[in-house]
Amino acid sequence: MTPALASGGGPVIPNFGQGSSCEIHNGWFCTDWVRAHWGDTLQPALVQHVELAAIAVAIGFVLASALAFAGFRFRLLDPPIGFFADFLYTIPSLALFQLLVPLTGLTVTTVEIALVSYTLLILYRNMIEGLRGVPPDALEAARGSGFTRLQTLVHVELPLALPAVIAGLRIATVSTISIATVAAFVIPEGLGRPIFVALEQEVFKTEILTAGGLAVLLALSADAVLVLAQRALTPWSRLERRA
Amino acid sequence: MIRKHTRRAAKAVFAISLGVAIVLGGTATAAPKKTAAAPTIVVGTKNFTEEYILGQLYKQALEGAGFKVSYKESIGSSELIDTAITSGKINFYPEYTGVIVQDLAKKKSPSSAAATFAAAKKFEETRGLTLLNATPFYDTDSFGMLTSTAKKLGVKTIADMKKVKSFSFAGYPECKTRITCLLGLKQVYGLTQVQFVPLASISVYTLLDQGKITAGDVFSTDPQLAGTKYTILVDTNHIFGFQNVAPVVSQKLLSAAGPKFAQIVNAVSAKLTLQAMIAMNKAVAIDKATPAAVAAGFLKANNLK
Amino acid sequence: MLADQFEPGTFVDAFRFMGHNAGFLLQKSGEHLELSLTALGIALLLSLPLGLWLGHRHRGLFFAVSVSNVGRALPSLVLIAVGLTIFGVGFWNNTAALVVLAVPPILTNAYFAIDGVDRDVVEAARGMGLGELQVLWRVELPLGLPLVIAGIRIAVIFVIATATIAAIAGGGGLGEIIVDQPSYGLSGVVAASLCVSALAFLAALLLSLLLRQMSRRPGPIP
Repeated sequence: MTPALASGGGPVIPNFGQGSSCEIHNGWFCTDWVRAHWGDTLQPALVQHVELAAIAVAIGFVLASALAFAGFRFRLLDPPIGFFADFLYTIPSLALFQLLVPLTGLTVTTVEIALVSYTLLILYRNMIEGLRGVPPDALEAARGSGFTRLQTLVHVELPLALPAVIAGLRIATVSTISIATVAAFVIPEGLGRPIFVALEQEVFKTEILTAGGLAVLLALSADAVLVLAQRALTPWSRLERRA
Repeated sequence: MIRKHTRRAAKAVFAISLGVAIVLGGTATAAPKKTAAAPTIVVGTKNFTEEYILGQLYKQALEGAGFKVSYKESIGSSELIDTAITSGKINFYPEYTGVIVQDLAKKKSPSSAAATFAAAKKFEETRGLTLLNATPFYDTDSFGMLTSTAKKLGVKTIADMKKVKSFSFAGYPECKTRITCLLGLKQVYGLTQVQFVPLASISVYTLLDQGKITAGDVFSTDPQLAGTKYTILVDTNHIFGFQNVAPVVSQKLLSAAGPKFAQIVNAVSAKLTLQAMIAMNKAVAIDKATPAAVAAGFLKANNLK
Repeated sequence: MLADQFEPGTFVDAFRFMGHNAGFLLQKSGEHLELSLTALGIALLLSLPLGLWLGHRHRGLFFAVSVSNVGRALPSLVLIAVGLTIFGVGFWNNTAALVVLAVPPILTNAYFAIDGVDRDVVEAARGMGLGELQVLWRVELPLGLPLVIAGIRIAVIFVIATATIAAIAGGGGLGEIIVDQPSYGLSGVVAASLCVSALAFLAALLLSLLLRQMSRRPGPIP
């Protein structure tokens, strides 16, 4: 018998109810499960996922901008920055998350550092390409009009680099949403968490398909929003295409 | 016109992202302040269903009594979560007494549940930790296989497996180095012909159902064992030890939290009988309820919340 | 968690791990490549001819772009998990997932590579009496080769890196070490991860060399 037991009668075991036939037999899509667990499982995971991705892309954008200006202004810096970003990208996300845990613990910070690292390559490359892709004629015209270096940057180079930047932002956002699913391997957050739980529960199909479906829909929606933003911010590109 | 529009937009995007980055930097560096009054109980759990339920039970009971609880679910195996508590990242987690004695302390298994609890408590107390009361239920690793496989191989006890030429055995990765698991099978039962299949994220039952393994490490409180599909071989050499659950707490927390803390935790533990635990496991694993809901229901029915 | 044991020394330990477990790492690398190359082979068979032909005909721009967009939006973890629900545990659940991952870059790049070839050159070739297939093979493909290979390169890196996650669903390979920190320690995780990066770099390098080799062949007929 076990030691040091408090006295008292046996416990009351409430009736926890029974899962539906669909849930017990692991049907492909149990709508009753989805309805029952939207609030306590799916929605929180979705919100966490959006947060994780949004923070990573925002920070990545700021960092990549700074790095891109540096790499663009001081050409010597470009190869090492580019190589470093390339290298980060080949590190499997599973490994990068685990490697950061001893440094920053089992926290959101760990996940964010890894996610930001992955966005850096895409954003940096696109921003540099965008800045480099400014036609020399435009720069000539700017110089001819008497623009200072800063004015040229703000009025000519940035606007013309914008399409490439937004294209990079699109790819980075979608990739981040995708990689953030793996974050659940280290901390129980994001849409990856229901997927991992479902895998352990004898591959519970409904949970995998709904959480996975939400992740895909989230990525596609983010992509669509950015496409609209791109069209709004670069109206001249639409004219160009029609020509 | 277009130029001004784009410039404004670009400035806005930059400003917003800079603002977001600053705000996040601010919140990230704002360290949690330590209040002298009520200590925060940082509850951690290992990475399987029963631990999620146990974690929720203790967490909700303590919150109901007014304690501040921070919850860190699914930290990992015993080895990982043990490092977490000894390094102060958490200060409370439910552990199995036999695992503490045999796998963490690397000592031989005592011959009774009470002795195992005592030995586990003694060990933890040398490290600034201690154990609160043990639960009535126990949950040992078990040697599980499909009943059809057992019939085909003609085995009833683990020792019977000696006659099988070679077989695969799946378990969590930590099973490989534990005397309460694979190591015990090899060394105590002499089953050197076993091939270990480490589980990453899928369950033993999935692999058994799909015929990918001969046998696997199952838990004695698994709801799947209630039916006749799976069978456990008898552990005649008792390698799996005695495995009641007892909460591991840091001594610092125990003294800072006051007597009510231990009272509540012990009251919860006392109600966790084998029947109760199996019912709760079933609700989560088979009927797909969430551990939080199941724990809430149980605590409420027993006036512990 | 293992913070108190982690120092820069972990990387030294990783190399020591490699030294002690060279055979094991090689075996796992072999498994890793087997999975990756099978998936890439199937993906190439499915998407390369299709992408090249669509680009040649200048049809299916929307399709090519959509495949690329949707493909990027499919998280690898989701593909692996869905593969598991469909195929059960085995070789094919992971292979299928990796194929789905590899198809978009190969297909889209092949399309744009061929679609973007200078129309005048193509017309000239047709004018010389070359059949459609000959135009594609002897004119468009050589000119579009860099972009085609770039797409394959992206797919190769994606697949080799993602094959790591396949270990979650019983895929074996170097991922088996990376998901199993309890058994192999952080040094093992670092070691296996470095191997994955090395494999990816090597594969990309081989493709660049292949491109250079193929570009040395006589160009399109003037």
